[in-house]
Amino acid sequence: MNLIFDTHWVMMLILLPLFGAVACFLWSRQAVTLGLITAVSVLLSVIALTLQVLEQGTLRYAVGGWGAPLGIDLYVDGLSLLMLIVTAVVGVAISVYSSAYFKPGKAKHYWPLWMFLWAALNSLFLSADIFNLYVTLELMGLAAVALVALSGSASALAAAMRYLLISLLGSLFYLMGVALLYHAYGTVDIALLAQQVESSPAVWAAIGLMVTGLLLKIALFPLHFWLPAAHSSAPAPVSALLSALVVKASFYILLRLWLDVFPEANLALSYLLGLLGASAIIWGGIQALYQTRLKLLIAYSTVMQIGYLFLAFPLASIIGWKAVFYLLLSHAIAKTAMFMAAGNILFYGGHDQIADLDRVAQRLPITLTAFGLAGISLMGLPPSGGFIAKWLLLEAIILSGQWWWAIILIAGGLLTGAYVFKVIGFAFTQAEVPHEPRMVPKRMEWVTLTVAVLAIMLGFMAPQLLALMDLGAPFGETMS
Amino acid sequence: MRLLLMALIIAMAAGLAYAILSLPAESAGLSVYTTENIAISGVTNPVTAVLLNYRAYDTFLELGVLLLALLGVWSLGSTATASQRPSAPGPVLDNLARVLVPILIVVAGYLFWAGAYIPGGAFQAGAVLGAAGVLLILAGWRINHRLVGLPLRISLVLGLVVFAVVGTLFMLTDRQFLEFPPQYAGVLILLIEGLATLSIGIALAALFLGADPEEDDN
Repeated sequence: MNLIFDTHWVMMLILLPLFGAVACFLWSRQAVTLGLITAVSVLLSVIALTLQVLEQGTLRYAVGGWGAPLGIDLYVDGLSLLMLIVTAVVGVAISVYSSAYFKPGKAKHYWPLWMFLWAALNSLFLSADIFNLYVTLELMGLAAVALVALSGSASALAAAMRYLLISLLGSLFYLMGVALLYHAYGTVDIALLAQQVESSPAVWAAIGLMVTGLLLKIALFPLHFWLPAAHSSAPAPVSALLSALVVKASFYILLRLWLDVFPEANLALSYLLGLLGASAIIWGGIQALYQTRLKLLIAYSTVMQIGYLFLAFPLASIIGWKAVFYLLLSHAIAKTAMFMAAGNILFYGGHDQIADLDRVAQRLPITLTAFGLAGISLMGLPPSGGFIAKWLLLEAIILSGQWWWAIILIAGGLLTGAYVFKVIGFAFTQAEVPHEPRMVPKRMEWVTLTVAVLAIMLGFMAPQLLALMDLGAPFGETMS
Repeated sequence: MRLLLMALIIAMAAGLAYAILSLPAESAGLSVYTTENIAISGVTNPVTAVLLNYRAYDTFLELGVLLLALLGVWSLGSTATASQRPSAPGPVLDNLARVLVPILIVVAGYLFWAGAYIPGGAFQAGAVLGAAGVLLILAGWRINHRLVGLPLRISLVLGLVVFAVVGTLFMLTDRQFLEFPPQYAGVLILLIEGLATLSIGIALAALFLGADPEEDDN
């Protein structure tokens, strides 16, 4: 028996964090150690799964042995694999960061919730069944809400409550869509639905409901109103998880449904999504510029970056999908680094007023370097991952002949540049009110820098990443 | 503005109603497959077969959702100030609890057992068990100090953990996760459902308590 090729890594990716959550809950005093062990073992499992898939091609796993339509199938192609990889990379970095960030009183609550969130994310990316996706959405939503409330402040509790209600509303919309599709076609398996779906009032209602529900969770402008408060009032590692992974998970479901189940979704809807995306870029960028608190600025930057993901809908080309998926990956890494850097600054100074950053450049040089590197990727400057993504997006725009999206793309880059430099500028100036500094654990600074360097490195991995995206042709067959 | 919103909602409702009416009233769904495989599912109630065998993975994750909800509530901290008033139940509540709690426990046991062939099962039985717990809490009963820490936590995760362990064991014998061999399916479902009933009931009662009793002790 070959260990790598015969083990059910797919299931391990779901069971390991779940057992990790239970272990952290039962032995809360050892939660940090147990959490770190789980994080490393999940990362190793993802590597093993990658080797397995590279060797054997796309993978379909029938849980319970029944197979669709009676049972639930899991499915791994390039899309799900890359989401799992980026989750594991961000997950390990966040775990290392959190091991120093939380005090024991908070840590014992944080670790089981975070492990549950990881299990939810992995099971979501693996699922090939729209009802099972709903269950994973619930698992993810509940874990995310509890994590936001963890900081315990009144504003965090209010933001968490609003987040909970929005998340539930979105899930309900989604579930209604599932019910309609099941009644019409008698299956909830994505692949089987893809073969049968045709234009009918029920399918249109399902598209409307599911897209609306998911847009609420993704926080696409103008449904972004809950995001800045929730993402900025959470503890720093949680903010990073929410911006890097949780909103992306809902986007992942939308992408899957759009590509497989709603392939003939009409042009008007795709233009509407593109237009909302463009508005999100401009609105989020301007709002970010106006913020006086660093974490709110980064949260609005997330609102903006989500907008980019929707530019691919009106383009509807393979290169366009690949471009936004590349952007999704590089944004996940860059935003993790950025929120970690903000966390370090907050830890150090006890506040995150941008105007009072007070020579952070000299005091926390590693953190500020990391912030700058992450900013480079967000702006889309070479040689970062963001650059490759925006380059591909520009190519897709030119190929489609819809030149007006290029203006948005460039304007967005300039806005990002403006707010990143605003932060860096204040980091070098002397503030009027000096404040009591607290030493930042070395571990937190170094892991921030590592992730930021990775955000730049993504620019050099383009051939490998683009090849992985082709695995199983999730965006359709390439004509060549 | 309000009128516009109203019009939008009415339009949405009308659209939805039209979509639903356009569907055939009867849909076979997956009932054909469900009945075809019922003989090897280990139970005779099709709902239980779907929940505990065909789509057991969903149920497994749902048990996770319930545990997660409890973890979320516990992470908000102690409720020592809010609900720990020493409640002195009146004679009516006290006597009612004495009569009802044993009955509720028996009903929960019946619902759990009946789930194999008629409507019932772990979630229903767990809900009834949880109600018994709520009644006990209202009547002023508190969990024994010695049971508060690890024992309580173990009882909360038992359903989920045994589900996972049983599922994983068969993975080692060339089967998929949660693929029960037909000859043992009935027994395994009974085992999983029994422990799940216990965990669900305790989790629901603990949710009513509002905070980790261990934290409230300190």
